[in-house]
Amino acid sequence: MSRRTAFGALVVVVMLGMVAAAVPASGAVSGSVAPSGSLRIWTDKDRRADIERIATAWGSRRGVSVEVVEKNFGDIRDQLKTVAPATAPDVIIGAHDWTGQLAADGLVLPLSPKKATLRQFPKYALDAFSYGTAVKRLYGSPVALENVGLVVNTRLATVPKTWASLQKQALAFKKKSADNLAIAVPQAPAGDAYHMYPFFSGFVFGRNKAGNLNAKVIGVANPVFLRNAPMIDAWDRLGLINSKVNYDTAKNAFLKGQAAFWITGPWEADTLRSSGLRIRIVQVPRIKFRAVPFLGVQGFMVTRFANTHGVATLAKDLVASYIMLPASQRALAAANGRFPANTVAGKQVNNPVLAQFGSAGAGGVPMPNIPQMSSVWEELGGAWLKATNGTSTAARPTFTTAARNIRNKIG
Amino acid sequence: MTTTAARAEVPPRPTFAQKAMALPSRAAPFFSGPVGLAIKIFLLAIMNALAVWAAIVLADEEKWPAVAVLAVSTVLIDVAYLSRRALPLKFLIPGTVLMIAFQVIPIFYTVNVAFTNYATGHILSKDQAIVGIKGNSLAPPPDGKSYLMAPARDAEGALVLLLVDEDTGNTFVGTTEELSPIERSSVEVDDLGILSAEGYTLVKGSELVTLDRELTAYTVPTSGDAAIRPEGLDTAVELAPTLRYQPVRDQFTRIADGVVFTEPGWKTNIGFANFDKILHNPLVRDPFLRVFVWTFVFAFLAVLISFVLGLLLAITLDKPGMHFLRTYRVLLILPYAIPGFLSLLVWQGLLNDDFGVVNKLLHIDVPWLFDSNWAKVSVILVSVWLTSPYFFLISLGALQSIPTELKEAARVDGGGPWQVFRKVTLPLLLIVVGPLLIASFAFNFNNFGNIYFLTGGGPQSSDQTTAGDTDILISYTYKIAFASGKGQDYGLASAIALIIFFIVATISSLAFWRTNALENIR
Repeated sequence: MSRRTAFGALVVVVMLGMVAAAVPASGAVSGSVAPSGSLRIWTDKDRRADIERIATAWGSRRGVSVEVVEKNFGDIRDQLKTVAPATAPDVIIGAHDWTGQLAADGLVLPLSPKKATLRQFPKYALDAFSYGTAVKRLYGSPVALENVGLVVNTRLATVPKTWASLQKQALAFKKKSADNLAIAVPQAPAGDAYHMYPFFSGFVFGRNKAGNLNAKVIGVANPVFLRNAPMIDAWDRLGLINSKVNYDTAKNAFLKGQAAFWITGPWEADTLRSSGLRIRIVQVPRIKFRAVPFLGVQGFMVTRFANTHGVATLAKDLVASYIMLPASQRALAAANGRFPANTVAGKQVNNPVLAQFGSAGAGGVPMPNIPQMSSVWEELGGAWLKATNGTSTAARPTFTTAARNIRNKIG
Repeated sequence: MTTTAARAEVPPRPTFAQKAMALPSRAAPFFSGPVGLAIKIFLLAIMNALAVWAAIVLADEEKWPAVAVLAVSTVLIDVAYLSRRALPLKFLIPGTVLMIAFQVIPIFYTVNVAFTNYATGHILSKDQAIVGIKGNSLAPPPDGKSYLMAPARDAEGALVLLLVDEDTGNTFVGTTEELSPIERSSVEVDDLGILSAEGYTLVKGSELVTLDRELTAYTVPTSGDAAIRPEGLDTAVELAPTLRYQPVRDQFTRIADGVVFTEPGWKTNIGFANFDKILHNPLVRDPFLRVFVWTFVFAFLAVLISFVLGLLLAITLDKPGMHFLRTYRVLLILPYAIPGFLSLLVWQGLLNDDFGVVNKLLHIDVPWLFDSNWAKVSVILVSVWLTSPYFFLISLGALQSIPTELKEAARVDGGGPWQVFRKVTLPLLLIVVGPLLIASFAFNFNNFGNIYFLTGGGPQSSDQTTAGDTDILISYTYKIAFASGKGQDYGLASAIALIIFFIVATISSLAFWRTNALENIR
């Protein structure tokens, strides 16, 4: 080494030392252990402000600082699997159908709210967040309920009491113009089992004696469905349901008055209100079977990282106690335009659109929350798409195949 | 532009260019002096500081091999840049580091994952999973109680739990030893919970926060295995384990009936089981050949048509005198400049057969995305739309680099335009474009976005398998690995990815071998 190089090396070493000394002080790398008494929450954009407000109110009561991190709703589940402990959340917002996967992965902690609190929630909403192969436990606190309904433009049609009336009106309306749709059901491009479910007379998973979902019993092509399959072929022939319609086409058609009937959910409540259309939301009338929708429940979960960070008790206090209170429920559900899961809070909601969506969900089926459901969505939606996209493919073999594929996929 | 105007503009340009050219040689002495040294040391110091920061984070997460690699490479880089002898190293090291970081490590990681059961239900390490299962297996015993709870200190300052039975309203104090009843009137309770208790001081506010770990681990034994545990800060529930861990057999059994349960499971090495699954799972095995052939056809046609079209456009626009030449060129490059997934989503809308613009404008009724054969055509067409501008650019450059004397010589020897193109231009062009064609083929072989965003692999195939008619190997792998079983199966996905890697590597090396032969002709 020349003298100059030696000098250079010295400078590097000195600077290195200075930086190394400065780094811990800056707190930028406080590492895996977040400062005790700080809670990190992952939320979506819509609810961010209200969660921040509610969590901060709770935090100031408990002497805890709360950090709310915004994520795409759909990313929350998958990023939780790969996140580094240092930046991991203690609490997440999520959909009930994530429960099985997250619990099977061991990423969320079981909760035990007070009995008095649990009594304020419908049983299905609590079931929706419960999972376990050996022991069934609650992994989330329900916040908001959602389901699709049949939205009727009452200037273009009367609210149908029977399936025959719906079918007759829809087909008559469709005949008026080439641009008109009979019933706008978003399906394209890949099929959408969530939106078609009311018209589907099969079921996804059976239940065992204990009432838990059983992935071995698949009802996608059950006898009831197979008996009704020719009816689906008829709908396809008549153009009653056209699965080449995607979400935007369905929405635009309804808003432009090119469809009198639209299958959608409360996330469009604001659009419906500001559209100026005269609408009414009902359950799809009884076909030969009760045409009930899938029910979705959204809520909060405590992650295993709360244990790592030493805030598990705090996180459970927020999620299983504070967030389940009627006041918090009302605020959170309103922030997202949904009906609150807490029945006490529900009685105080005075929003006709949400209330109508709520009654359209009566008797509905919670989306299965077991991880095997991920083998179902694509097959079920795909089968429906194939049966109703005007290519004269019969529903019966299509769904029989789908059932077989689902069985193979679950393995 | 007239010739005189062009000439008038010519003189200042070389001077500017010369000035620009001379800049590095003028700057060299400046930068090799103390200023240069200072800059160098400053940059190195920043790098070292980043390395120190990274090392602290890694050490914090106990990733010791990574810390070692980081330390050694940082020291190596410092030595290489501070010594005067190691000139080649100054170029080699950054390249090597980047190659290791972005090529070698992902490959090692993929190979590693391919031999594990890393999937939904097997995410955690063994230690984490065992703690997790123990926690999840706690359940209220048949007549389990639940309590309003408040952490408090007794007269000696020890942490206790004040408890009020939710059903009966009976009051207790719980310690890590036992649960003992206390006088009901000594505890004041309202809607919000326990307010105060005689002889105890409630723990409140910031002190409560510091007790979190202690409270999480706090248990008040009741009967048998059951114990009262705090669940949050104002609730406690009596819970008992339902599973027991048996270290010898490495499994959990249910206490009641001895049935074995493993959920959540842990990540572990499972040898060739994933490859075995590929061979024996009808999901993978049945449509494999069909998907493989279509992948080949898709990649081949997409590249061939794009190249031919790009080349034709390049030849057409390789005329210096043409009007609006620049406009044409810009217009042609536009599809390439727009992010591919955007174009794909737009095309998905344009090609919708009932509501799409294409069918409406042309007054035709083609099931672009719903018929199996048409969907294949659409996938290739859109791919051509996306990649032909690339070949247009490359071919234009290559055409302009071919010496005109060669073409003239061929023409003088009596060759017609087609002969000149075929015998002179095309071979010379292929030397330049050949490797790019192979790279483009390899890219299209794994062109996930093109399939996923346009057709999602659909329409469903008539051979009744999960692979759609336009699914290529990589998009089908995605379906198997991320939309089946219980969700994600990273192990299986990595195993299939390895197989695809070997297929692409074989094809590419064969093709490169062929182009080398082509080059030797020259």
